[in-house]
Amino acid sequence: MRPRLSVRLLASTLLAAVLAAGPALAQTKELLTIDLPGDPATLDPHLQWNTDSYSVYRNIFDNLVTRNAEGEIVPQIATGWTQDDDTTLTFTIRDDVAFHDGTSLTAEDVAYSINRIIDPDLNSPQLSQFNQIERAEAIDPTTVRITTKSPYPALLAQLVKLSIVPKAYVEAVGDEEFNLKPMGSGPYKLTAWRKGVETELEAFADYWGGQPPFERVLFRAVPDVSTRIADLKTGQADLIRDVPPDQASSVDGASGVKLLSVPTERVGYLYINAQAGPTEDVRVRQAIAYALDRQTLIDALLEGYASPVNILGAPPIFGYTDQIEGYPYDPDKARALLQEAGAEGATLEFLTSPSYNQAMVQAIQQMLQDVGLDVSISSSDQATFLKRRQGDPENAGSLAIGAWSCACQDADGIIFPLFRTGSIWAKYSNPAFDEAVDAARSTLDEAKRKAEYETAYQILREDVPGLGLYQVYALYGASERLQWQPTANESMFVMDMSWSE
Amino acid sequence: MAIITFPLPRPRLPQMPLSVVLVAILFVVIVVLAVLAPWIAPQDPNDQSLLARLRPPGYTYRDVTYLLGTDDLGRDLLSRVLYGARISLAVSVLSVAVSTVVGVSLGMVAGWYRGWVETLIMRAVDIMMSIPAILLAVLTVAVLGPGFIKLVLVLGLTRWPRYTRVAFGQTLTVAGLPFIRASELAGAGAGRILIHHILPNIAGPILIVATAEFGLMILFESGLSFLGLGIQPPTPSWGSIMSVGRQYLERAPWIVFVPGACLFLLVFSVNVLGDWLRDWIDPRSRSR
Amino acid sequence: MLRYIVNRLLQAVIAIFGVLTIVFVVMHLSGDPTLLLVPQDASAEVIANLRRQLGFDRPIGVQYLDYLGDLLRLDFGTSVVQRVPVSQIVAARVPYTIELAAGALAVALGLGIPIGVVMATRRGGWIERGLTAVVVTGQSVPTFLSGILLIAIFGVLLRWLPTSGTGSISALVMPSIALGSVSMATFARMTRIAILDELGKDYVRAATARGMRMDQTILRHVLRNASIPLITITALEIGNLLAGAVIIETVFAWPGIGLLAIQSIQARDFLVVQMIVLLISVVYVLTSVLADLIYGFVDPRIRLMR
Repeated sequence: MRPRLSVRLLASTLLAAVLAAGPALAQTKELLTIDLPGDPATLDPHLQWNTDSYSVYRNIFDNLVTRNAEGEIVPQIATGWTQDDDTTLTFTIRDDVAFHDGTSLTAEDVAYSINRIIDPDLNSPQLSQFNQIERAEAIDPTTVRITTKSPYPALLAQLVKLSIVPKAYVEAVGDEEFNLKPMGSGPYKLTAWRKGVETELEAFADYWGGQPPFERVLFRAVPDVSTRIADLKTGQADLIRDVPPDQASSVDGASGVKLLSVPTERVGYLYINAQAGPTEDVRVRQAIAYALDRQTLIDALLEGYASPVNILGAPPIFGYTDQIEGYPYDPDKARALLQEAGAEGATLEFLTSPSYNQAMVQAIQQMLQDVGLDVSISSSDQATFLKRRQGDPENAGSLAIGAWSCACQDADGIIFPLFRTGSIWAKYSNPAFDEAVDAARSTLDEAKRKAEYETAYQILREDVPGLGLYQVYALYGASERLQWQPTANESMFVMDMSWSE
Repeated sequence: MAIITFPLPRPRLPQMPLSVVLVAILFVVIVVLAVLAPWIAPQDPNDQSLLARLRPPGYTYRDVTYLLGTDDLGRDLLSRVLYGARISLAVSVLSVAVSTVVGVSLGMVAGWYRGWVETLIMRAVDIMMSIPAILLAVLTVAVLGPGFIKLVLVLGLTRWPRYTRVAFGQTLTVAGLPFIRASELAGAGAGRILIHHILPNIAGPILIVATAEFGLMILFESGLSFLGLGIQPPTPSWGSIMSVGRQYLERAPWIVFVPGACLFLLVFSVNVLGDWLRDWIDPRSRSR
Repeated sequence: MLRYIVNRLLQAVIAIFGVLTIVFVVMHLSGDPTLLLVPQDASAEVIANLRRQLGFDRPIGVQYLDYLGDLLRLDFGTSVVQRVPVSQIVAARVPYTIELAAGALAVALGLGIPIGVVMATRRGGWIERGLTAVVVTGQSVPTFLSGILLIAIFGVLLRWLPTSGTGSISALVMPSIALGSVSMATFARMTRIAILDELGKDYVRAATARGMRMDQTILRHVLRNASIPLITITALEIGNLLAGAVIIETVFAWPGIGLLAIQSIQARDFLVVQMIVLLISVVYVLTSVLADLIYGFVDPRIRLMR
């Protein structure tokens, strides 16, 4: 089903590109309306990192570095950087950037932004992504030096997520006021935030990167999927986020709208408790791996909008390897392994919460029951789910599904927190694995890191403390006239969009 | 509870209007279908056919005809709705039972002993009545997590104050009657008097409350399930089926409409029967 | 009378205090929001630090006393999720719920009273039976189901009305109908009873005996006298409408306090939930005190009944 859709999508994109080529057709659209599933929790970019929040605030702020369409890390506020030694990185900063109040952005602001997010007093939920940074200091108005606690290969990937805030303004108004009236140097400035309803942005005329494509942008909070789709079809929205795969056909077939899909760095996976219950036996875990028909799950439940993976990671991440053999769908082998382990009819608790795809959970339950396991689902709210899943192994259930993305496109942000001994997520411990991921974390040598991750993934393949199921596709519904290429890290920069009449 | 001999205003069953008879038949049919679900359901309600999901009523796949179509996992909607009826009915019957037992006992105790017991119980009633039951139920179920027993307890324990108010008021009235005084003088204990003499005499009004609450409980159960706060998947209840179906309103509207229609018919019949029962037990309400 | 009012209000304060305690305990026993706030790769140490900074590591009794202390100073605290004063978050949503409740009340009164009048005056006929069916139907359709039905028919199929959004009358129509239909049934029943009560009274018989036409009598006297119990019911229904808003706002994504409550329960945003519960309880209690007063004022005998 999918190839046909893609061809149609490609054709319409080509057609649109041809049409858009004439200069006379490049008209402007004043207001762009985007439906998000929720309201931003915070607009202070150093507080919440969740999609609804950053989809909005990353248009208000600039980042030190960013990713281009190919996924490479490229300068944004920085013009370049040099690695002085294993723990020191020096950035040069643009000198032509102004904040929305007209003051210019300097190295002071960059250093302040880094030091602010790692300041324990701010209580930033994002602290763990930046706490490898020791400090940042401004050497002169266009130079910033960042020191890390140890060699930290994922530093640049993490800095992609760091928004630059104006030091003088934040210090003058205070944290609370800044969260309500954020001001940055990005292409858009905040004009109104009607909490729970919508957030309105206006183009910043003096943006250093050129004229923003739309005069105004409206982000609306529309929790219900079918309502978002209805809004798109009736022209009340120009772009909607989070179209579930099995609703894609209702967007794709409609006139005047199109479906945008992109493979992301996010990976759908099954966690298997290796430290308690029947799944403590590696044969049971391997049996589970053989019992799952990934292709059917993808084709039926995700309607083809996902690709199967053999490892717990997707191609856009550093450290991805296609050298690991996956587990084929082999229910007989699964039954044999269960028999060998004496685990036929063993009871497994499958933890989940409404945040996850319930159909996927129930389909996996069925497949495991088909090979002779007794799986019961325990659905609780997200807070309780996390408490159990991250808590004591004895109480952490046998199974859970998840969709993991560190938004850093690096294996370090995935398998380290999931499986490294001592991590809250890990219900698994293998010194050989720990050694590999520790080594990969503390060297800047890319070839060595790649090799270490391949070793680590090979160990995971044998031990199965978790199983990569598929690479998640991000699906958006858009007006046919909106030109935009969504990215693997699920960011939403209005600056990258354009409109063709 | 063996000796519920509440004083019926008329010795034998009064006439039922034809419309009420029809509704009563409808109610009985729903209950019978629910009870017989394991024997009459054409499929196992949890049997999935991933390649036959979201199919319309009448669809045939691998020699199985899905009379009411399939849901998002290719399960037979008819079977799920039949089994769902059991859950919806069981939850509401049991939670009404819980709240009746708790509420009536407290109400009778408060009305019999008066004094600080009354103050304590009736203040607790005030507290419980100061918060919308649905909000309290949503909060507790969200926090406790879904589950059949939890659902019954939460629903039952948020609704008892209504029974307490009625039982309290009725007990006050009945306790002053001469025959109660007489048996007290004859040496009967409080428990015996409450159960043997007062309960039968206040059963009528309580039955009225319970019937009204029964319809409400069915709605509550489905409302909570609809918000994803009902029982554990994959067990079907009408509310949980509709909650899933809402996502497919355009693509597979039958998933919402079939259990929705059943839910409506059930609550409608319960309400009509409740009205009729009230008129019968308390004829004044009709003549007014 | 004054003593009665003071007494009743005192009871109300105790009741609300009890409600707050229940909600506080239920929410805090089930775990705090720290895990929901941190990114996936946070370490145990980071989580523990954040939990300590936010004050969730303290004994529940201490947190409770702290909360009550702040409440006495009318300080509702700052949301740990949004980092904004809770009062601001809730205040921004209140107007939407008021708008919805007003719309629903308009639907309920606008349909319920005429239906009740007709039912009382055309007794025993097919009209009464038909209207009774309408009333019972209004009571029997769950609000979320009528919400979905309305969306399916008028939003998706016919596209007459917007499926979501706020700010226009057309956006208000469907949620108001869905929410108001249950209250409509209550009003119709109560109107019928109130009018039947009045019709049995001597002055009506006298008026009809004097040759006044029935509909004139009803319009001139009966409705006016019957309106007192109706005002009472209205006061009580306001509380019920607020409670019903929890579900209907979710169905229509209406950004009022009901939706906020559901979202905040999921996010474990304790202070927001507690303020909403406080707000709804206060309205609930005040309207029922008001209803009691009106009732007691009119007929002291029925003070106990509700």
